[in-house]
Amino acid sequence: MKRKNRWYLLGLLPFVVMVALFQLVPIVSMLTGSVRPEDGAGMTFGYYARIFQSDYYLKAIQNSLLISVFSSVIGIVVGLACAYSVTRFAPRMRDRLIMVSNMTSNFAGVPLAFAYIILLGSNGVFTLLFKQWGWDVFAGFNLYSWSGLVLVYVYFQVPLALLLLYPSFYGIREQWKEAASLLGASHWQFWRTIGIPVLMPAVFGTLGILFANSMGAYATAYALVGSNFNLLAVRIGNLVSGDVVTEPQLGNALAVILGLSTLLAVYLNHKMTQRLHRFQPGSAERKVRSRRKWSRLKSPALKEEL
Amino acid sequence: MQTPSKKAGWAPRSLMLLMMVYLLLPLLATMIYAFAKEWQATILPESWTLEWFGGMFQDARFLDALWKSLYLCAISIVLSLAVMLPAVFIITVYLPRLESFMKGIVVLPYAVPGVVAAVGLIRAYSSGPMNISGTAYILIGAYFIIVLPYMYQGIRNSLLTVSAPELLNAAEMLGAGRMRAFVTVILPNIWPGVVTSTLLSFSVLFGEFVMTNMLVGGHIQTIQVYLSRRMNESGHLASAIAISYFLFILALSMILMKLGKKVNRGISE
Amino acid sequence: MKPYLKLEGIRKQFGTTTVLNQVNLDIREGELVTLLGPSGCGKSTLLRCIAGLTEIDEGQIWLDDKDIVNLPPRSREIGMVFQSYALFPNLTVRENIEYGMRMRGAAKEARRQRSDELLELIDLADKRDAYPAQLSGGQQQRVALARSLAVRPKVLLLDEPLSALDAKIRKNLRMEIREIQKQFNMTTIFVTHDQEEALTLSDRVCLMNQGNIVQQGTPEELYAKPSTEFVARFMGSYNVLTRAEALRLFGAVPGDGESYAIRPEALTLVGQDQETDLGHAGKPIVEGTVHSASILGNVIRYAIDAAGIRLTVDALNDGRSRRLEENRKVALAFDLAQLLQLEKEGA
Repeated sequence: MKRKNRWYLLGLLPFVVMVALFQLVPIVSMLTGSVRPEDGAGMTFGYYARIFQSDYYLKAIQNSLLISVFSSVIGIVVGLACAYSVTRFAPRMRDRLIMVSNMTSNFAGVPLAFAYIILLGSNGVFTLLFKQWGWDVFAGFNLYSWSGLVLVYVYFQVPLALLLLYPSFYGIREQWKEAASLLGASHWQFWRTIGIPVLMPAVFGTLGILFANSMGAYATAYALVGSNFNLLAVRIGNLVSGDVVTEPQLGNALAVILGLSTLLAVYLNHKMTQRLHRFQPGSAERKVRSRRKWSRLKSPALKEEL
Repeated sequence: MQTPSKKAGWAPRSLMLLMMVYLLLPLLATMIYAFAKEWQATILPESWTLEWFGGMFQDARFLDALWKSLYLCAISIVLSLAVMLPAVFIITVYLPRLESFMKGIVVLPYAVPGVVAAVGLIRAYSSGPMNISGTAYILIGAYFIIVLPYMYQGIRNSLLTVSAPELLNAAEMLGAGRMRAFVTVILPNIWPGVVTSTLLSFSVLFGEFVMTNMLVGGHIQTIQVYLSRRMNESGHLASAIAISYFLFILALSMILMKLGKKVNRGISE
Repeated sequence: MKPYLKLEGIRKQFGTTTVLNQVNLDIREGELVTLLGPSGCGKSTLLRCIAGLTEIDEGQIWLDDKDIVNLPPRSREIGMVFQSYALFPNLTVRENIEYGMRMRGAAKEARRQRSDELLELIDLADKRDAYPAQLSGGQQQRVALARSLAVRPKVLLLDEPLSALDAKIRKNLRMEIREIQKQFNMTTIFVTHDQEEALTLSDRVCLMNQGNIVQQGTPEELYAKPSTEFVARFMGSYNVLTRAEALRLFGAVPGDGESYAIRPEALTLVGQDQETDLGHAGKPIVEGTVHSASILGNVIRYAIDAAGIRLTVDALNDGRSRRLEENRKVALAFDLAQLLQLEKEGA
């Protein structure tokens, strides 16, 4: 190796340049931007201080956190139930179900918001139908409010949760159940002592992904509520590239906060995946294959919102 | 030795049925809306029409947006392939020690939401030597980063599954130069995997809204941006566009799935 | 003596294929019985039926004078070790071993004591807090063994427990299993497709084919007296001959069977060494040519063509005789008494 010439390293150059220009420089720029005073000299945490003293921005952060927590938890609960159900079906049917949820996970962002407006917006088909039939259960429901956002967010969280979780149900091997039953465990005891603990890392990992996914969700919220609802992502968008760009530095600081929260969530996912590997050591080859599957499953759903 | 006969009980069945309804309802609604002449306060519209689809293709701005989407995606992906193929190859084959570092770089676009990335890009390129904000260049750069994870993983996995380092050694021992070995031995073998990641990247970029809207929304209208602007003007037309978009993505994912199966069959067992 | 475990007329079908066809089997207390056979012969299914993991269509199973057919697996007092170990990945070695006792509500101290004992027995005391993923295959299998022994089952079932391991570990572990089995006087059924394993390990071997037990007996019996062609071929490198071939080779044959078998070591090469030749003086002789030879440790295995039939012949590799080169003409001495008459398949 030593004696071979290293000209081939040149092949890495375009990659290094592109990543530096469009990934590293922007991140650094955003970080410095969030602590640089308007006159351009020195360092200040003034923007952060303003954010944390402003009810308005605190509300945005709180709204985003609440919506993310709610939609992720609902997503994970429904996703878990669905993932378990999916594994109960014969492979053919299972693949079809997975395909449908994979397909609908493409249906996110602007088109999704639009579909919900058609269905449940103020002039939506169901809204009018319910009104006509006199069902007032839904009278209090407003698509353009908190509950409406949660509903729409859950829509793209559930298929994602399902896609991420169902492979781990296959990680619970039939022989564990058999071994447990021979050792005297009931069905429920097996799930309590083996099944659920084995699933836990995947559940928490997925929760991290779901949380990051909804924290960063912009398209859906933008299309659905525009700037009428105070969400962190929408707020940032308006500050930086809205019709009237007012305070870009504040936007930088908010973006740093948002980025930190999603990084943290993805880090959780990473830690949990490592945990999973402790359970399932395998040949390097198997790891590659499972990762390939993982990435393929993960990708279509993640793309729109992150 | 034998799998127990799989027959789902009533609970999984009804749950899945509910979920399918929940997932397909918005799609169905959009579809009906796109074909409906008028749809209000009835379960199904009273009359149907194709005029919205017709209108879609007569709308010059739509065609323009479609064209812009297509060529921006295409350019970004070609650029990404040209940059990533050699880079991933070199790292996987010659510098495997850098892999964990690469993984970190590649996972960043996952972890940093589009809004945040866009904020950084706007600040970095709104002034100074590279003032490219609002142009296609900044968008292509952003697109490059968005597809980075898909391209990296796709290419890397294909390289590993065809055991590129061994293949390369064999080729070199048979007297092929390094470049020649890459072109004649490695490329044809990883091709299916590369096509898969290309298509996947394409569907990802085609559906991209956040970055596009924030970076160049005022100047360049891609199909997603256009859709968001038209939504409030004509619902029916917007539905027609949304459905066409969805069908396009659907077709793409079908191809992906077929390819994926083929690739997987090729490698495993 | 009264059987401890008794299987009567066990039938099992998957769809239209019959996997077990009226299987009967009696096992004494403390006996180690091997179910041997090619893959798909039904041996694993039989094991799973005994454990209750697979329901039987017909038949009866008695364990220690108790009808257990309708009991769920956890009430059968049967322990099982799987080929893939099936250790619980989220539990440590000790927790795995204690799992059965925990499920039965044993007190913590009792569990501790028992698991310490077993950890000592399988020589893994220093790994008690490790997780299964941190152990080698052989270590995992020893933990699996300890786990199923911990609840003192009446019968221990071992489903190809060694086939995922390296040859060397396999040999060591099978001796260990045998020792532990004897020490506990544990009634054991061992499933394998490896005839050498079955012969070295068992008190009794049951050879299965297509859902039937085709022959059972001590390892010696099964090896020395295969009853059918299937057994002869499965048990070793028997030369299986049709009646016509046997007549052509040996001139006359005992009985009126349609096929015969002769062990490779029952044919002796003469003209090599005067001392051994003496022992074969007066025996009938067949002429042949060496086709190929391979050395299997203390035995040289020849393929020899005689009367248009390729025979396998083993000669002792004791250093006195040299390996014969190919195409060399040789003479083979035989003893008609060693020629076994085989029954028809399925008879």
